[in-house]
Amino acid sequence: MLTYIIRRIILSIPILFGVALISFLLVYLAPGDPLGRFLTPNVRPEVLERLREIYGLDKPLFEQFVGWITHYVQVWDPLAWGISITHRRPVLELIMERAPATLLLMGTALAVTVIVAVPLGMLAAIKQYSVADKVVTTFATIGYAMPSFVLGTYLLYIGAVWTGVFPFRGMTSSLRSAGDPLDIAWHMVLPVASLAIQSIAGWSRYVRATMLEVLHQDYIRTAKAKGLGSNRVNFRHALRNALIPVVTLLGLSLPSLIAGAAITEAIFSWPGLGSLGLQAVGERDYPVVMAFVLLGGIAVVLGNLIADILYGVVDPRIKY
Amino acid sequence: MADTTIDVRQAQFDDTDDIDRTEVRSYWQLARQRFFHHRLAVAGAITLVSLIVLSLVVPAIAGDTLRVSASRSFAPPEIFNDQGDMTLALLGYSRTGYNIFGVLMAATGTSLMIGFAAVLIIVFIGVMVGSVAGFSGGWVDNVLMRVVDIALALPGLFIIIAFVAFWGASIWSIIIAIGITGWTLAARLVRAEFLSLREADYVQAAKALGASPRRIITRHMLPPAFAPIIVAASLGVADSVVLEAALSFLGFGISADQASLGTLLNVAFEYLNREPYLVLFPSIVLILIVLAANFLGDGMRDALDPRQRVEER
Repeated sequence: MLTYIIRRIILSIPILFGVALISFLLVYLAPGDPLGRFLTPNVRPEVLERLREIYGLDKPLFEQFVGWITHYVQVWDPLAWGISITHRRPVLELIMERAPATLLLMGTALAVTVIVAVPLGMLAAIKQYSVADKVVTTFATIGYAMPSFVLGTYLLYIGAVWTGVFPFRGMTSSLRSAGDPLDIAWHMVLPVASLAIQSIAGWSRYVRATMLEVLHQDYIRTAKAKGLGSNRVNFRHALRNALIPVVTLLGLSLPSLIAGAAITEAIFSWPGLGSLGLQAVGERDYPVVMAFVLLGGIAVVLGNLIADILYGVVDPRIKY
Repeated sequence: MADTTIDVRQAQFDDTDDIDRTEVRSYWQLARQRFFHHRLAVAGAITLVSLIVLSLVVPAIAGDTLRVSASRSFAPPEIFNDQGDMTLALLGYSRTGYNIFGVLMAATGTSLMIGFAAVLIIVFIGVMVGSVAGFSGGWVDNVLMRVVDIALALPGLFIIIAFVAFWGASIWSIIIAIGITGWTLAARLVRAEFLSLREADYVQAAKALGASPRRIITRHMLPPAFAPIIVAASLGVADSVVLEAALSFLGFGISADQASLGTLLNVAFEYLNREPYLVLFPSIVLILIVLAANFLGDGMRDALDPRQRVEER
């Protein structure tokens, strides 16, 4: 197991390297001078030359990339990921500051999803072709086809504009109530609902499909044939095996957990990583953009690794 | 006793006669028949075709749909205006006085155009990468699949937004951004098909007869890989339309004079408390496009490749 994990980590290094290269090229090849914001008539050419030298912009592409990436891996140095141009603060510090809000939002949404989607999918599978099944599948299809920003806009309108029950935006009502858990929970209802409804649609479809697959297997028929009650067959025999593929979904959800659902954060003005990234793109805050692309890559690689490890833990048939 | 024997033989003879009389149907006839049995797929096809036709015809008839006139603010639905010109303002006019249905159909056209154009790029890159990887195998396959891994590890929407924001938002930059980030599914499906076809007897036979790799790929391996390509393409249309809408919704998309469904949603979001129904129309069209493209893809997969038929997914 340990050797497997180590091998997987080593294998993921080239992938992260590729992601870093693309993130670098995305910014490097972007039209316009990176020092564009300093290009005012008041700035003397010598100063610009000096700035170019300081930022290493006079060096060839390859050298710049190598310099950038060697600096980047030294995460123990708070300045390793550069300094945000708009916020004028270290990028790592900004990410650490924004991460809790995103993790809280996405973690809650994921928990709600699992709690709702697993029973729904099971119900649909056990009572296949029943009214309940049709309701669940129809809901899943519509939820799947509904883009997150459409759902978010509807919820914002119904929950905040029309009924006025829930707050419009942000994480806290006022500076005084900052950090009050109840206040934050109140602000979380709409964004969590918007994220959860969408993933419940996907998850319940998936749970239903895996559950159906398991229910058609021979050992389930055997269990029924020897006279076990349907509850025991469904929960003890079928559910446990049906959940194996579902567990890997948990790992695969990690990227969205870390990189955040930027769109939902934007709609509800949630002060998380997603809105930080979008804002950075809009303001051409290159260090933050590069960090965000790389963060996304790390999340995907880590998520796949966790999914594979979890798979090995819950499924004894799999040996590494 | 003897009679019955004769009867049985006669019956057997009738049977074979029956079989002989059944008409022989070609692969495409069978595929078409299977497709038309898939009701949702047919509904999806009809929806998509009607949206395409409407988005071409309505703006052409209604003229400059974006032209606003304060006098038409909240004007009721109409087909002809006071001057007798055909406006097809079936949904009436907005507060600022634009033809809601006309703008909606023009935006649908823009969205679909971007979706289909991006899918062309997606399919092109996907087929190239997938067929080369699947046909060559070995280290070529290995390298190309690592490239796919890297592409999959990138935060797609974020890259697209950054690309469009840095290079300037136009229909073309959006199409290219969506196209060059979205090809991984197509590539993997084509590769999987090619890997299994590579060992097929008829491909080995073609190779033994001295067919060039190009001929083997284009004549012998691409046609059977048609079904997964079609599936990837129809899912790609839905994904591309949604990605573009997300981009424009967030305000990074094309300017308002070339509105897409996402632009309409972006504008509607601003007026959420005054004209909430403006959100409704573009979002319904968007959901219709996604559902239709998905059902169409399902139906085409079942029709073109009955082996892949998944029960109750």
